[in-house]
Amino acid sequence: MKCPQVQKRLSAFQDGELTSQEKERVSRHLESCSVCRERYAEMEKAWQALGDLKEIPPEPGFYGELVKKINDSYETRSPVGFQWLFQFFSSPWVASTLLLAGILIGTFLGNFLAGSDLFPFRPSMASKSPGAVEVVSFRVFDPVPPGTLGEGYMRMVRNTEVQYR
Amino acid sequence: MGKTVSSEDLMAQVAEGDEYAFEILVRRHETPILNLIYRFIGDRTQANDLSQEVFMRVWKAAKTYKAEAKFTTWIYRITANLCLNELKSSGKKKLFFSESPIEEGQTLNEESNVFPSAEDILLAEERSSQISDALQSLPENQRMALILKRYDNLSYGEIAKIMECSVSAVESLLVRAKRNLKEKLVFHEK
Repeated sequence: MKCPQVQKRLSAFQDGELTSQEKERVSRHLESCSVCRERYAEMEKAWQALGDLKEIPPEPGFYGELVKKINDSYETRSPVGFQWLFQFFSSPWVASTLLLAGILIGTFLGNFLAGSDLFPFRPSMASKSPGAVEVVSFRVFDPVPPGTLGEGYMRMVRNTEVQYR
Repeated sequence: MGKTVSSEDLMAQVAEGDEYAFEILVRRHETPILNLIYRFIGDRTQANDLSQEVFMRVWKAAKTYKAEAKFTTWIYRITANLCLNELKSSGKKKLFFSESPIEEGQTLNEESNVFPSAEDILLAEERSSQISDALQSLPENQRMALILKRYDNLSYGEIAKIMECSVSAVESLLVRAKRNLKEKLVFHEK
């Protein structure tokens, strides 16, 4: 083996990661080559020096603190269901779909109520005489246009005044 | 004579909520995990906090642990990822040890029972500081690979699994780390 090849494998040789055949070849080369031998000796010296960095022991209350942190993490966490809900509704797609659905439902509901007899302040179509056409649209600028909530309120107030006279 | 339960078997019990098994696991692995982080990060308080974070993740992820994976590989991977992410999030590229790992009264030569002199302590502290600085000056991946090899004596294959890279990548990291280290270390003759 030549010096460049050996020097490339010196680290793995030091770490015991060579095959027995490779290890044998490097060892033989080191016996005969002072340059590679010196390089290896420097590597060994640096490697040994690292051993002077001593180990530190854990703090005496390490486990107790750990248990406390684990318990605290469960207490501060929101219930799983709410977390899932929050994550679900914070998704942009879900939020957009809900908004659109809300608008559509609101429009439908509004149309339904406006066309329904259930709506209290709209004059019933049945009370009109045949042929009569009420042009309500021209009265939308009245202070209290007919068929509006305002007219309903005024009617309610007038009825109340009559009741208490 | 009692048989030691393997960490893998203990994890199976932890997955079922066995707190006693968890305590045994923590006591068994707290020192190596703490020291891996300490050697990597260089700050004792931070190392303490991060090592607790590692064990919190072990507790919470117990159900996802696969028994065929070696426990030490798994926990070391969690630790390595946490260390590397911690450096990224703190924006620190180079850290220095905030305190000497050699504490007052700690013997250097544990076999001789000789109480060290003040000079010995100072020399030891200086050497520790040099080693710490040299380690901290290494790029993160080289530093992690070096610590796992030098202090935890893991094989290239195990380091590759922990760092999620190839064996040849580990060898390359170690070659560069040792070269950089040799240039930075100054040796004091006793």
